[in-house]
Amino acid sequence: MTTVAPRVLLPSAAAKGEILKVKSIINHQMETGFRHDAQGRVIPRKIIHRFVCRYGGAEVFSVDLHEAISANPFIEFYLRATESGRLEFIWEEDNGGVYRLEHELTVA
Amino acid sequence: MGLTRRDVLLAGSIGSAALASAYFLPGRARAQDEAVQLVERLTGRTPTVSDRLHLVMPAVFPTGYTVPMDLDIDSPMTEDDHVKRIRVFAPQNPLIEVASFNFVPRRTIAHVSTRIRLAEPQYVVAVAEMSDGTLLMTKTFVDVATNGCI
Repeated sequence: MTTVAPRVLLPSAAAKGEILKVKSIINHQMETGFRHDAQGRVIPRKIIHRFVCRYGGAEVFSVDLHEAISANPFIEFYLRATESGRLEFIWEEDNGGVYRLEHELTVA
Repeated sequence: MGLTRRDVLLAGSIGSAALASAYFLPGRARAQDEAVQLVERLTGRTPTVSDRLHLVMPAVFPTGYTVPMDLDIDSPMTEDDHVKRIRVFAPQNPLIEVASFNFVPRRTIAHVSTRIRLAEPQYVVAVAEMSDGTLLMTKTFVDVATNGCI
């Protein structure tokens, strides 16, 4: 088993009102539930089904992912820098797994 | 599990008389019409084809496993006028729902990029739910050389 290591790329400092590009990626198989193993058994579905970005405690962006999202889901989106605070990135997996990442943003 | 192509086809066969008439339209208009009908069946509402949605995908791509998708919507993203949600469908995939993106006014702009799986060459459909309740849609044709859904 490889460890799941989510990553985000965005600046740590920004001017007020600036639009920030956020790149996020998580290494994950995104098993669709359509494949079979060598014995012919169905490999059960296991995907990241939800991604959430919180900014200063409030949810600002989220995605509901389905089977048609590629393995190692990459999501790029944009935030407006409104105040200094903590950004939280949360990936929810089938079977209840949750992966988190935090990022401090300073807005001048 | 999500919505399957079979569900949609079954639901569609109820209104097949209406559908049959669509087959007499010329090719391009028919493709547009089929996408509109698909969205009607999935959401229960009639979408408006809009050039405010920019769904950018490669016309031809060698693999169906990781097809880049960039989606940008012209919107001021104010409290009064914003995009609430964008849903993306791949009608020829075994499961036609791809993703839905939820936005918050003033905090985000309606622009996302990701990578998707496509089972065969097809129109990818994007539907935006606006704050005033309207549905806007667009679609773009992507030709993939290999099936990305196995």
